Amino acid sequence: MPRKPARRKPARKPASKARGSARAAGKGRYFAAAGFLSLLLLAIYLGYLNHIIDSRFEGGAWALPSRVYARALELYPGLRLSREQLAYELELSSYLRVEREPLPGEYRLLGASLELNSRAFDFVDQAQAPRLLQVFFANERVVALSDSRNGEDLAVFRLPPLILGSYFPQSGEDRLLLAENEVPDELVATLIAVEDRAFYEHSGVSPLAVLRALWVNLKAGRAVQGGSTLTQQLAKNLFLTPEKSLLRKINEAFMALLLEMRFSKQAIITAYINEVFLLQQNRIAIHGFARASRMLFNRGVDRLEANQLALLVGMVKGPSRYNPMTKPEAALERRNLVLKIMRQQGLLDDAGYERERAAPLGVPQKLPGVNPFPAYLDMVKHQLRAGYSGSDLSRRGLRVFTAFDPLLQRNLELGLGRGLSRFEQPELQSAVVIADYLNGDIQALIGDRVTDYPGFNRALMAQRPIGSLIKPLLLYGLLEEELTLASVVSDQPIRIRQSNGDIWEPRNYDRELHGNMTLYEAFIHSYNLPFIALGVNDDGLQRLAQNLDRIKLLKHEVVYPSMLLGTTAMSAYEVAQMYQVIANNGYFTPLTTIRSVTDQDNRALSRIPLESHKLYDQARMLQVQRAMVGVSEQGTARYLAERFGERSLAGKTGTTDDLRDSWFAGFSERLLAVVWLGRDDNAPIGLTGSSGALRVWADIMELQDFSAFKLNRDDSLAWLYIDSKNGGISKQGCANSVLLPIPKDRIPKTRSRCQ
Amino acid sequence: MPVTRSLQTLCRPALLALVAVGSACSVPEQYPDNRYQRSIETSDQAAATASAPVVQLQNQALAAINEDEYPLAIDYLERAIKIQPRNAWSWHYLADVYWRRGERERCRAMIERSQSYAVNDPRLDDANAALLRQCR
Repeated sequence: MPRKPARRKPARKPASKARGSARAAGKGRYFAAAGFLSLLLLAIYLGYLNHIIDSRFEGGAWALPSRVYARALELYPGLRLSREQLAYELELSSYLRVEREPLPGEYRLLGASLELNSRAFDFVDQAQAPRLLQVFFANERVVALSDSRNGEDLAVFRLPPLILGSYFPQSGEDRLLLAENEVPDELVATLIAVEDRAFYEHSGVSPLAVLRALWVNLKAGRAVQGGSTLTQQLAKNLFLTPEKSLLRKINEAFMALLLEMRFSKQAIITAYINEVFLLQQNRIAIHGFARASRMLFNRGVDRLEANQLALLVGMVKGPSRYNPMTKPEAALERRNLVLKIMRQQGLLDDAGYERERAAPLGVPQKLPGVNPFPAYLDMVKHQLRAGYSGSDLSRRGLRVFTAFDPLLQRNLELGLGRGLSRFEQPELQSAVVIADYLNGDIQALIGDRVTDYPGFNRALMAQRPIGSLIKPLLLYGLLEEELTLASVVSDQPIRIRQSNGDIWEPRNYDRELHGNMTLYEAFIHSYNLPFIALGVNDDGLQRLAQNLDRIKLLKHEVVYPSMLLGTTAMSAYEVAQMYQVIANNGYFTPLTTIRSVTDQDNRALSRIPLESHKLYDQARMLQVQRAMVGVSEQGTARYLAERFGERSLAGKTGTTDDLRDSWFAGFSERLLAVVWLGRDDNAPIGLTGSSGALRVWADIMELQDFSAFKLNRDDSLAWLYIDSKNGGISKQGCANSVLLPIPKDRIPKTRSRCQ
Repeated sequence: MPVTRSLQTLCRPALLALVAVGSACSVPEQYPDNRYQRSIETSDQAAATASAPVVQLQNQALAAINEDEYPLAIDYLERAIKIQPRNAWSWHYLADVYWRRGERERCRAMIERSQSYAVNDPRLDDANAALLRQCR
């Protein structure tokens, strides 16, 4: 704090010379103290500005969005993939289609083949350089793969994955960072020529430019021109608000001086190139030349043509005013002005100038969507929450590698659209999960009938009663007892006294009674009464509870009889997990969207390994699978046999009270798909599992070139023709005869009349 | 069991003949020529035969194991499994990597999975049995 003498008033009367010199000395002290105070305040002020610079400019200056990547497409001979599908995947990955030999990030069609030049990519396990390769197709399959440079045949090639979405910072900024050595000289030269020709001469502030601007502003009576250097612009963009005030200008000038004192010119121009705001895409602000270049021209800044470079540099002056999509004429005029400056500064020769000036703007009419797959991204975020905070995701520039399959997602969206159009119910909602049940990859997902709507994700969040989708686990439980698919069960009325004294009289969906039949027959037609009769005892209920608990889907501590009818509510994702273990012979593999996470420098942060846990007996699960194949051949889902013929599928329909929920869960050789239809207000939809979700399921699968479901071998089972009505051993061709796997120690003793 | 399987193989023609004349057989196991038999055989084939990309990835994994690069080996094997998930050898090699990393429980889980696909391959049966002893 300043000392008191500095505030002391002078003596009231003039005095002698000596007293005068004393007064002069006092005044000197006053000025010295004031000067010291000013210096101190200036030092504090500069220290404060310096601190701001430290916190933003050095080490993590920008909050970087996390990028979420799709699965890397493995190309190999034999892969079921058409040339059109590969081209679609490349387009989604922002590859450019060209007619000459492709550069990295480009492809061309060559007869029945496709030649592509892959981009360099840092996979988690290794860095992969660009590679020019030719992919040959026949009958919708890849038949050969070769390196175009040396003709070498390749057994397998991993295509760098596309970015399926990003988690943005709260500021809503999106950017790609360039390192100093990645910034092209042409970009720096053009930027300096247009924005700040004295950049390499000044120390952050250009007094001449300031005076010139001051004069113009004074004449206009308001702030119409800035005299800012690139360094000042950077200081303003990084640390200050855009308001035009004297205080802000002072701050900006001091910060620019500090930046120049502390950092090299190259570091400053690189920061500027990464920071500058260039585009607005809905609520996301696109910063930096690298991201804007990708958005507008689908290429890196190192491969920009002069006219493209000129457009981007021209947009710096007014991103909104010179937006090439909304103000193409102004943007073109501005670009051509920049080209003119480039010629004046010797960055373009005359011929080059004429050529580039004649080029069209060449930008898309509309920018690609920010996150076109919101339900999948939401699921990724949900699963990431275990290890990463929201701030990690929106600031640290993480790279999240997922199992997302864009080709499958496209089929899902098309199939769902077709399927829903059958019903003419605008309120009908849907959720779909598609997974590879052998390795646990969730490959495609939909959480709303409007597939790109980023709202409530029903696949993950909507908990709905599953109805008869519970029956495969019930059947498994009954097979754990002495029953087989050939066991005879009775479909007759049941009255159950509940713990509160009420009588419960469950019924079949068709309100009919069907007499005696095999367990197989009861299952494929989804009759309720036999399953309730067999499972309603304490042992039966406990078994169901245990079997649900093994896969962490037991949701109630108290087990009650109506659970046998599937009153337990689950999400489509949870149903998919239950059916994963059924389809996979009793081996539990957690369903996941995520495979690994790295930081922005590709250091592995977490990795989700392939898991496999044997939770159920394989032989019993094979019997359940066989019964589910029966559902699709002869039972409630026989529509699949009519539609897909010889391609065998396994599945189960589910319907809930008053037709409020329509479910179908089914699987092929590798794919498991779960479809739910219903309304958010839980009103009846008038659809059963068979008339609703099953049809949509088939519409989706039809677009996917799937293989038939295959039953595994198990030597403890004998395959026998069984009479599905009386459970006796039958033979091929007899009425009601079905081929079923029966445990060798429980082969029926009776024979059908036909036998 | 191989012995049982051999007996069944020997028994099957006789069994079919007996069925044809309407007689009973003491072990009435049948693999008639229908979609289930075809599907089981196709499944067996998938488990036994590795496609070219899978062979390459398995070889790269083995090379990585030799260099003690276990995470890299796991990546190669998981890629192989994604291409051909029913290849029993890929699961076996994965079990082997986990054993080398000291992850015995995971090793046992992978052997179980390998065994679930292992068909008519005594070499793999032996390899899995030997590895299982190590992982216990």
